[in-house]
Amino acid sequence: MSELPTLTLATWGLATALTLFLLLRIFLLRLYRTYPLFTLYLGTNLLQTIVGIYLYQSYGFRSVYGYRMAWTTQAFVVIARGLATAEICYRILGKFKGVWALAIRLLIACGGMVLISTLYFGIRSYKLAVITLDMSLEAFIATWIVGLLLFARYYEVAVEHETRMIGLGLGLFSCCRLLNDLLFERHVQAYLNSWNYVSSAAFIGILLLWTWALRRPVTCAAPEVQLNSAQVYQLLIPQVNRKLSALNQQLSQFWRAESSKP
Amino acid sequence: MNPVFYFVAVAAGLALVGLLFWALRGAGQRKNLDHNSGGLDNVPSPVDDMAQIRQSMDPADFEFAKNKCGRELPARLRRERRRVTLLYLAAIRKDFEHSLRVARIIAVLSPEVSSSQEYERIRLALIFRWRLQMIKIRLLLGLIPQPQLTALWQMAASMAMQMEETMAKLGERAALAAELALQSEKQ
Repeated sequence: MSELPTLTLATWGLATALTLFLLLRIFLLRLYRTYPLFTLYLGTNLLQTIVGIYLYQSYGFRSVYGYRMAWTTQAFVVIARGLATAEICYRILGKFKGVWALAIRLLIACGGMVLISTLYFGIRSYKLAVITLDMSLEAFIATWIVGLLLFARYYEVAVEHETRMIGLGLGLFSCCRLLNDLLFERHVQAYLNSWNYVSSAAFIGILLLWTWALRRPVTCAAPEVQLNSAQVYQLLIPQVNRKLSALNQQLSQFWRAESSKP
Repeated sequence: MNPVFYFVAVAAGLALVGLLFWALRGAGQRKNLDHNSGGLDNVPSPVDDMAQIRQSMDPADFEFAKNKCGRELPARLRRERRRVTLLYLAAIRKDFEHSLRVARIIAVLSPEVSSSQEYERIRLALIFRWRLQMIKIRLLLGLIPQPQLTALWQMAASMAMQMEETMAKLGERAALAAELALQSEKQ
């Protein structure tokens, strides 16, 4: 552990303390019932830190074994974050069955494309393959969060404050990690130390945001939504679309009439 | 790493951050309750002002003013008419936006939605907004094509009426179903 710079140790310590504090708050306010997968993510993160401390103490910071094990644990953390993201997505749109079914299909397709293209174009060497994989997963998570919030905006779905802040944190953290990984891939040697600091600083910032957002129990749960029968959609939506299409048609005729004027 | 991919990925990452904040803007102010009541009732209707709008757009009026009065009045009339036409376009846009909103509410409250219908609506909305902006620019450049605008508005109004009729029919059917259910419970 003594191989590690003091600043790295300090940021690790701070992040661990904040994670512990947040987890404690979640348990005291019984928020784990509302956000079980998010709680699992924070728990996985804490566990990763414990495993990391043990690994670096036993094998040293620069050992190949330590490096491999640290990145293996990172895979679990990213998967847990992905699950927490799915939970947030479901909390926002899950009650609107039709839109949720559409959103999930689209988001899986978009996220999948982003993941595959990042893997395909991003890979440079097998040594850095793990960074590329991490980058692809972060891009996938960020696409999911942003896509979901765009859906919520388009359909004017209200989002609870806590859920919004957790979603913002997850999205921002993934974007930060994505950009950080990109810089690392480009300037491996020069950016090695900064990469660690940027990642830790982003995580500390997000933890502070979540601690602030989850300062009180979730009091106002979103009201239950009473869905219409599918017939209403089948009857009305084609009509609305016809109306919109006809309005467009008129505009285009108007446009043509305008253009043909001498 | 491919340099092109690197720059594309950095730009995409920054765009994602921007989109994240944009998508979150106003998320707290949105009210789910609107989906059940208010949103469908407040139909903006340019119908009430239609007679005046038509009058203001009538070319005969313009010709009359041109023959009877000096040069100042027609110029002022032209400016006024342009303003009225822009207001008219705004009313049509409002009608379009309202229909879009109704569609969104129906989609959100539906257990099944069709991706093709949803995609079609997004496409139409984008085209409509683009064309409207282009027409506005042309109007501001000095062209006032009234007949087409009137046709546009009439079509919008008739479609709105058709939709209201369908919604009323749906309401009647729901009421009938509820009544039948009540009767069968009594028996």
